[in-house]
Amino acid sequence: MATSSAIAISQNAQPAAALMQISGLGKRYGEQRALAEVSFDVRSREVLGLIGPNGAGKTTLLETLAGILPADGGEIFWRGAPLSLADRRDAVFYLPDGLRPWDDQFVVRSVELFAAVYGCVETRVAETVHAVGLSPVLSKRISALSKGYGRRLMLALALLTPQPVLLMDEPFDGFDLRQTREMMGLLREVAGRGRTLVLAIHQLGDAERVCDRFVLLAEGRVRGVGTFDQLRAQTNEGSGRLEDVFLALT
Amino acid sequence: MLSGRALWTLLLILCPLVGYSFAQAVALYGEASSAARDSPALASGLSPLDGVLVPSFGALYICTTLLFPFVAIRALGREKETGTLRLLVQLPYPTPALIAAKMAAIFIAWLLSLIPVLSALAIWQLLGGHLHGPETLNLIFGHLLYGLLVGAIALFAAAVSESAATAAIVVLAFTIGSWVLDFGLAGQPGLLEWISRLSLTQALRSFEQGLLPLGLMLGIAGVISGFAALSAVWLHPGRPLKIKLVRSALCAVALAAVLALATLIRPSIDVSEDQRNSFPPADQRALTELREPLVITVHLAPEDPRYVDLRRNVLAKLQRALPNVTIRLATTGQSMLGSTGNEAYGEIEYSYAGRSATSRSTSHREALPLLYGLAGKPVPATLEGDQYPGYPLTRDAEPALIWFYAGLPLLVVLAWWWTCRPPRISEHLIIKNGAQP
Repeated sequence: MATSSAIAISQNAQPAAALMQISGLGKRYGEQRALAEVSFDVRSREVLGLIGPNGAGKTTLLETLAGILPADGGEIFWRGAPLSLADRRDAVFYLPDGLRPWDDQFVVRSVELFAAVYGCVETRVAETVHAVGLSPVLSKRISALSKGYGRRLMLALALLTPQPVLLMDEPFDGFDLRQTREMMGLLREVAGRGRTLVLAIHQLGDAERVCDRFVLLAEGRVRGVGTFDQLRAQTNEGSGRLEDVFLALT
Repeated sequence: MLSGRALWTLLLILCPLVGYSFAQAVALYGEASSAARDSPALASGLSPLDGVLVPSFGALYICTTLLFPFVAIRALGREKETGTLRLLVQLPYPTPALIAAKMAAIFIAWLLSLIPVLSALAIWQLLGGHLHGPETLNLIFGHLLYGLLVGAIALFAAAVSESAATAAIVVLAFTIGSWVLDFGLAGQPGLLEWISRLSLTQALRSFEQGLLPLGLMLGIAGVISGFAALSAVWLHPGRPLKIKLVRSALCAVALAAVLALATLIRPSIDVSEDQRNSFPPADQRALTELREPLVITVHLAPEDPRYVDLRRNVLAKLQRALPNVTIRLATTGQSMLGSTGNEAYGEIEYSYAGRSATSRSTSHREALPLLYGLAGKPVPATLEGDQYPGYPLTRDAEPALIWFYAGLPLLVVLAWWWTCRPPRISEHLIIKNGAQP
């Protein structure tokens, strides 16, 4: 994919530099308000956790950021400039939750499709497949995969994409404890190589381990933004866990 | 599309249907040929286009109308149902390119569905049957346009519907609705007659008659492009409804303009071997010298069989041969029953160069001399070798049914199995025992 220079991953980017600004994002489903005046920023090379209970608006927010759902209001900026819907797919790639893409196809075919679309070299495809542990099921049909391998496939597809920002909805759902730790390590490595990750996670323990900063969402509103320490300070939960902070803020 | 069941099921159903239609057509053609064996006049009426090709393609037409929508819907419907569309629209291709790729897949699926019919044509030739290249290709082209038309409607239905089942209902409403228009309204007077022309199946009629109508081709291509464009407008879930509605309106305006232009394009090419859509060559040549406007006033109700004869034998051919022909129906809005009391009913009035003549004949043999008289031109002599010889053939196609009932379905099943095989995994993707990835 030809990525525009403004959107391309910058290996020299400063960790704290704001990459995306989300300003006053709103979304309604009929009478129901899913997102209300959501504002925060995403910094380069960070792992940002969208934290909130089921129904908080995490998936709606990710899909709106990816341009898969139209927002009712608000704006998204990329390094200070408005990010149009057409440019969105050069900037972010969104990995939906619980998706089995092209489920009547073989795993290897969908991996090869993404590799061909994004022009990935053979070694990168092999590295990705091995990194997510997909090798044993390459010749299986996607519909026959277990939940965990389905998630690994989605991760592999996401890692083959070149966009600077990866949006992932519940990336650890379907993994056991050991696999979750393994995948967290992989995602940290990905962030270390220059990609920015925005993860929607409802398991606060997982979020605490993997994320650099957090956006706490409840009922479609942002209840807090910051690092774990900043949120702790904000709520006077000096030695509390993330769930204590979350409860205090919501 | 190859990994799903829909296409293969279509092919498995199509094989025996085409085989049965073909065998029946050859048998009937053989019976007619036996009667024409000693009569050149009867033999000249035997055209493989009407006798064998059109009936054999009839099975394809039925399957394209009733089953092909399910194949075409699958090109997009499955991705919508499973949520894969959310990945698809993130790929680095503009939405029109995605729709073009889907249309290409539909085209390939239609080409595959052509295999049983092509094999029927091959068997017809092996039996000694005659095929006229241009009219055969023209018929295939007509069916291709019809298949793409159904495919484009199916793609649009899949783009706007949440489930494949809903999309199927939408497409079948179009295709079966066309049959209702055909059977229920064709031949009715006034507005109903005009509405009946909107039927999708009308798209095939000219091609089945060996005519390549340029205006109709443009119209069908416009409708196919229109539905494809609407599919592109409605495909992306991230586009606001207001924008989709505005763009749909623009598509509708553009489509209306193309259709209006298509109705202005009169030329059509008669590719039939017997030149059934044209007057005899001598008359065709003589008519090119008539430059004045011709006005024909017909005192017949549109549903009157005499009008159908007149339309086929004289009016349509005159419209093709002359640059300026106006046809007026004096009984517009009246039914046949209500008009028969009128003394003038049944008259056809020809007005050319300030002179008029009236006839009640629906044959060109009477109408053309009348016209030459009005124009002050001599009646041209019939040219030698003008007569279409006809191609009578008495053969039994029953043995070929083994191919359609067993051989071809077996090949289809083998091809299905072949596409279902697990793919070969490249060495570099496999972790060897003990090896580090």
